[in-house]
Amino acid sequence: MKSIKYINYWSLFAITMLLLSACSRDFLNRPPTDAIVDANFYQTDAEVMAGTALLYSKAWFDYNDKASFNLGDFRGGTALSQYNYQDNVWFSTTAGDAELASAWMAFYNVVGQANTAILNINKYASSAVTPAIRQEAIGEARFMRAVAYSYLVMNWGAVPIITNNQTILTDTTVTRNTVQSVWKFITNDMRAAEADLPETPYAAGRVTKWSAEGMLARFYLTRAGVESSGGVRNQTFLDSAMYYSNRVITLSGKSLVPNYRNLFLYNYNNNNESLFELEWVFSPGSYGTGNSTPSYLAFSPTIENGDGWGGDITASWWMISQYAGINPYGITGDTLRGRTLDQRLLQTFMLPGASYPEITQTVNGVDIKPFVYPNNTADNSTASIKKYIVGQAKDVGGLSAVQNYPNDTYMMRLSEMYLTYAEAKLGNDASTNDPTALAYFNAVHTRAGLGALTDTTHLTFDMIFKERTIEFAMEGMIWYDLVRLYYWNPTKALSILNSQDRGLFAIYTDVYPNPTQWTFVKTSWNTKRYVTASSGNFLLPIPAAETTDAPNLEKPPVDYYSK
Amino acid sequence: MKKHLLLFLFISCLFGYVEVDAQNFRVIGTTMDASTGETLPGVNIIVKGTTKGTISDIKGNYSIEVPTKDAVLVFSFIGYKPETVLVNGRSTINIRLVQDIKKLDEVVVTAYGTTKRIDLSTAQTTVTAKQINQTVNTTLEQAIQGRTAGVYITQNSGQPGGGISVNIRGVNSINGTNEPLYVIDGVQIQGQSVSYGNSSSSDPLSGLNPSDIESIQVLQGPSATALYGSLATNGVLLITTKRGKAGDTKITYSYQTSLQAPPKHLQVMDLQQYATMVDQFHQIESGTTPQEFLDPTLLGKGTDWQSALFRNSVMYQHQVSLSGGSEKTTYFLSGEYLNQDGVAIGSGFDRYSFRLNLDNQARKWLKVGVNLSFDQTVENLTASSESLIANALTLTPQIPVKNLDGTWGGGDLTNGANQYAPVNPVAIANLITNKNTRRQMLGGTNLAIDILKGLVFRTTFNTNIGYQNSLYYKPTYAIGWDINTTASLTEGSSINTYWDLNELLDYTKQLEKHNFDLMVSHEAQASTWKNVSAGRTGFLTNDILDLNAGDPSTASNSGGQGTWGMESYLGRLNYNYADKYIVSASVRSDGSSNFGANNRWGTFPAISAAWRISKEPWYHVGFINELKLRLETGTTGNQGSGGIYSPMGTAATQWGTGFLPTQYSNQNLKWESTTTDNIGANINLFNNRLQLEMDYYKKNTNNLLMTNPEPYYMGTSGDGAIGAPEVNIGAMQNIGWAFTLNSTNINTKSFRWETNFNISGFKPKITKLYSNAATVDRTSWWMGGFTQEARVGQAPWQFVGYIQQGLFQSVDEINNSAVPIDNNGNRLPTDVNDVWVGDIKYKDISGPNGVPDGIIDTHDQTDIGNPWPKFFGGFTNTFSYKGFDLSILLTFTYGNDIYNYIGMMDSNPNNINISENLMIAAFNYAKPITNADGTVTLQNPNAYIPRISYDTNGNGNWTRFTNRWVESGSFLRAKNISLTYNVPSSFIAGQKIIKDVKITFSAQNIATLTGYKGYDPEVGAYVGANASSSNQAIGVDDGRYPLTPVYTFDILVNL
Repeated sequence: MKSIKYINYWSLFAITMLLLSACSRDFLNRPPTDAIVDANFYQTDAEVMAGTALLYSKAWFDYNDKASFNLGDFRGGTALSQYNYQDNVWFSTTAGDAELASAWMAFYNVVGQANTAILNINKYASSAVTPAIRQEAIGEARFMRAVAYSYLVMNWGAVPIITNNQTILTDTTVTRNTVQSVWKFITNDMRAAEADLPETPYAAGRVTKWSAEGMLARFYLTRAGVESSGGVRNQTFLDSAMYYSNRVITLSGKSLVPNYRNLFLYNYNNNNESLFELEWVFSPGSYGTGNSTPSYLAFSPTIENGDGWGGDITASWWMISQYAGINPYGITGDTLRGRTLDQRLLQTFMLPGASYPEITQTVNGVDIKPFVYPNNTADNSTASIKKYIVGQAKDVGGLSAVQNYPNDTYMMRLSEMYLTYAEAKLGNDASTNDPTALAYFNAVHTRAGLGALTDTTHLTFDMIFKERTIEFAMEGMIWYDLVRLYYWNPTKALSILNSQDRGLFAIYTDVYPNPTQWTFVKTSWNTKRYVTASSGNFLLPIPAAETTDAPNLEKPPVDYYSK
Repeated sequence: MKKHLLLFLFISCLFGYVEVDAQNFRVIGTTMDASTGETLPGVNIIVKGTTKGTISDIKGNYSIEVPTKDAVLVFSFIGYKPETVLVNGRSTINIRLVQDIKKLDEVVVTAYGTTKRIDLSTAQTTVTAKQINQTVNTTLEQAIQGRTAGVYITQNSGQPGGGISVNIRGVNSINGTNEPLYVIDGVQIQGQSVSYGNSSSSDPLSGLNPSDIESIQVLQGPSATALYGSLATNGVLLITTKRGKAGDTKITYSYQTSLQAPPKHLQVMDLQQYATMVDQFHQIESGTTPQEFLDPTLLGKGTDWQSALFRNSVMYQHQVSLSGGSEKTTYFLSGEYLNQDGVAIGSGFDRYSFRLNLDNQARKWLKVGVNLSFDQTVENLTASSESLIANALTLTPQIPVKNLDGTWGGGDLTNGANQYAPVNPVAIANLITNKNTRRQMLGGTNLAIDILKGLVFRTTFNTNIGYQNSLYYKPTYAIGWDINTTASLTEGSSINTYWDLNELLDYTKQLEKHNFDLMVSHEAQASTWKNVSAGRTGFLTNDILDLNAGDPSTASNSGGQGTWGMESYLGRLNYNYADKYIVSASVRSDGSSNFGANNRWGTFPAISAAWRISKEPWYHVGFINELKLRLETGTTGNQGSGGIYSPMGTAATQWGTGFLPTQYSNQNLKWESTTTDNIGANINLFNNRLQLEMDYYKKNTNNLLMTNPEPYYMGTSGDGAIGAPEVNIGAMQNIGWAFTLNSTNINTKSFRWETNFNISGFKPKITKLYSNAATVDRTSWWMGGFTQEARVGQAPWQFVGYIQQGLFQSVDEINNSAVPIDNNGNRLPTDVNDVWVGDIKYKDISGPNGVPDGIIDTHDQTDIGNPWPKFFGGFTNTFSYKGFDLSILLTFTYGNDIYNYIGMMDSNPNNINISENLMIAAFNYAKPITNADGTVTLQNPNAYIPRISYDTNGNGNWTRFTNRWVESGSFLRAKNISLTYNVPSSFIAGQKIIKDVKITFSAQNIATLTGYKGYDPEVGAYVGANASSSNQAIGVDDGRYPLTPVYTFDILVNL
């Protein structure tokens, strides 16, 4: 009786034992369901090129964001912030500075992404990928890596060269490499990129052989100083700079945009003057692929999309005094007055009464167009930043939002090639009367609305340096021009820095709006106006967090090629 | 197929409840306490074998109809031993119930089973419903605080519904979480410390109604936790909800209302003081003082932002529950509504919850049960996500809450330095909507089959389905300089599902004095999550918070999903000889989808033994009536969060979608494992009136899982980085102890006094880091780069900074001291622009060669604070006198440090220049003066706040973190005082509806003894908008939402 009853139980038991059996083999195999993994990517030409596309934007984002103007312009003295970023304005940058860390991080993110792209393409690209595309993508990665290292070495001096992140992920024995060997690595890498890259871009804005040659011109001009002796620049490298810049000018098919103003009018992206730019795109709701710099530079939320936090950022007194026609007034030395034919002034900085038809200002819900930069009669006013400011979303066809602007950041324009050629040709001489050098210089000079040089015998370094300052102000350039100079003539570089008045001033107009001239008066109570730069200012400290994590960075640098 | 079976079982449970009527024979009587002779109201009386039941009334009298004269009555009452009585024709039966103080026969829930408390051979503590009810808890973690040894609980935020850090036995891991595993009626939920972004301050477990909880078992010992294997390293909280008991239906309704008081004011400057400070600043640093500030006596007090932000606020709760059933079917049904406004505007919480627990004895051999709970919480998170408290403390009193024209007050561009003032927090609280709605369904069915005598098969299927909607709306506004020209709305939805299927065989056998219990089980769990988030801008009206009301051309969206799965085999053998020698051995093997095929399975064994010495025949120590020694060792694991794949992320480019790798993969990732050795003892004295429990343990964790802390040069930090790989980074050790005392101090007829005291401590230490990285850092970039560090030989997350040796008093002192260097490595000059009298003198601790080198650089950083306490605990005293119950809970923590970041920020006198308000103490900043002889000294030599030096900070007075702002976080808090009054029956006599009424007044957080100068020393982990679990600051007060006094009235009615 009892045994029969239990038979039912046993059958139940049998069912339950079935339940006890193991799960299927795939139960524990769960790759990501919301992203493709690296090993399955790089299967077509389009995938390979999509795999390097973000090397033009997202990888550089943290550099472009605030570090670009903090290092390139605030340290260089073209512009300043009156209340913020004081570390960079006054050369008291410490290892804990935020922009310093962002820049270091971003350059090495470019390096890491470029390294990994090269490794992944070599490892995972299928046979369906055409060899030319494979080569072009690797060329792009090398190009980015070399540019990133050039910024690193110019800001920090000796830095570690990393070409494969994956093998050293748990290894902190990495040490720094010497400045000279870093420069050698950079030029080698760029020459390899030059060989890999095509003459015509894969798509508008992607780098070409000409981009690489332009960079080689910049690098060789710099290396001529790195390997200078006794204040004399290395002639071979000067010749290389001349060679490459001339090739780009004459063979690339690139040309200067006739009107300087158009260089910064939306949509200027990938115009014919551009050799390399960071390729931003408005992408609603996302962060890291649009241009965020305008948010920090624009003087007021009323001309942006609610951002526009740069109310205290202004051209420096020194910068204003560079423009032809704006001259000392009176004898006290605290006043400048005048007007300039140089179209670059109002396209770089906003002066009271100047009007900007491309920008809408919205005050209390009312749109004002054209926007006229306001008068401020206080004893401390600002010449705010204009370059890269393209207005509100409504000024760019709706394609912008907070920290998300669609306009590209120039990393190299053709006009730099003209000035590079002139400087390389001048070389170690005091002045040059070389007609090509003069013609190239004048190409840039006259495009800005100024007359050609009248004295055709004395093109000097100072003239070229000043031209670069005005041409590239607020493009994150002047600091690197100073570093390039410092490599071979530190005294001169220091004396430029120490002569830059970085104090406060007021701006007055004769008529408002549309003034015919401006008067600039130093703010009387502001006594702190000059820095005392020393050689230490030409080496940024490595971010503090970095030296705690990787103490080997404090060891003396070694030659990369002697390993 | 499986699904249909479960559905069938569920339905059969619902209809299993059948009433059976019977003939009439009435028995009456009184129920009494056997020792005191007092009558006992509320005793449960049922007629055995029927569904008939009743409860004794307020005088202890009962009356029940029984079917036959030889029926059997069962009397039961919580805290007393049940009595079974044969009626035997009697019409009056008075019963004296014997108190069960010993609780020795109490059955406790353990991992995958139950056992008698005396047979426990592992460290396990309990929080009961009674204890939970003594305090006002909105979330279940609050209910545990101070109640049990070994559990360190800190409130991350006093915000309603805000998250809580729960550390069982300290810190065992340096990856994201140290939170325990919660097992709620079988549903396993891994505790989360924090999520990222606007919703990060909310608590995923806040949907559970603490009143539904019957008991919380805190599994601490390795033998108890190892059965949960890879999920249990941080301890396990086994939560059992209430279930019905056979007998009359019990209906309970309670209403609770609380008044929450604002925090005490921190002493910041009023407008007159502010104006004075502005003028002092300008006298030193030049610049123009606004005209109206030149004579502060003409000014009023300005805006008191703390009063503007904080308010008295109300919380109320309605709760109703029904429970009861027949012998075959029992049920518990409850519903709740809770509404809590925060003391800071821009915060609040409400919850609806509902629960149904059903049990049915379907056949003699078949038992089925169902748990079903549903809850919804809605939180207002604006106060935390927008840092309103920090802003209220830093905003200048010069700005009004509202301007005369009714617009919001704010610093404007034309008003000098006010263009840098923080944003009006009251305006933001009113303007920005940050709402988080969560809906959660926790449910499961279980089935038990008696196969043979002693052999049971159990299977459970549990599921947890969560749905979350977050809404963040920022309207257009103009608050002074802060102008938002574009209204934006972001909505996020996420859905997560979890299921767990367990099959288990349990065989118990008794052979004379040998007791065996063998359990084997197989378990599979899987979970998926999916997010959708979307946004639009350009809303023209603020009335409709829906994406459809925005500009479609601005639409943005994002997705994301993931999954994990785990399969496990486990088994346990318990052996017990005469309740004297007790051994338990278990093993669990987990396979996790987080690891590659080569390292997929982890094995977690444990063994424990207990010896009840007091049971030995030779034992004759009269006053010690229970003496038990316990020894255990076992291994638990941690499966981390994966990292064997390298996914490609996508982002927009001008040429279409671009792809970038987002993380370096690590194919060789291994399980993290923790081996714990534990020794413990239980001692009961004086006939169990004094019960002591003590434990000492040592935990060794190997293969610590975490994201490798790469230097920046690896390209793994910031935007566009390839995330650092997950690695097994090192090993750590954690030594700790716990001590609990329970005593019944006085137990007379009318007065009873009981005490619970618990205290515990832990000392974690990192013993090894496998890579040659010297440290693992957590750096809070949003707090000026404040860094916490994990380093070999130390507890993790030490505060890193410099030692402040006062301020420089003279030029000579500077010249004779170590000072910071310039970028060339040269000493900064001694002058007003570099290092000067009144600057901080840092201690020269070390140099590159490990010895002091006369310069101040990063080598001179050291540990300046430890966020972990030396010990902590709780002290509860409960007094009962007639109808009154008084309960007092004190909690305490000793030895932890807090970095008072908000105190530091609000003491920097330079910040007056950017319209930030300061603590009054900042007036005493160092004031260098030049004496007649040309020497420079300080006018106020005792100042600790460095001199004003705005432009130049060569010395880094305010950019280097120093021990000056490390404060002791020790405190002793009157956590809860509650007085309950059981309304005398005479008050409610004469009606038949209300059986009894209980009224409670309580006060929480009313007094705190602490040296900490901020609002509240209970500073857990950072949960602001920038939080992420792998980079969470601990013990740093950046203007945390404080805990404040709460006064509560509660009425409970039994119907």
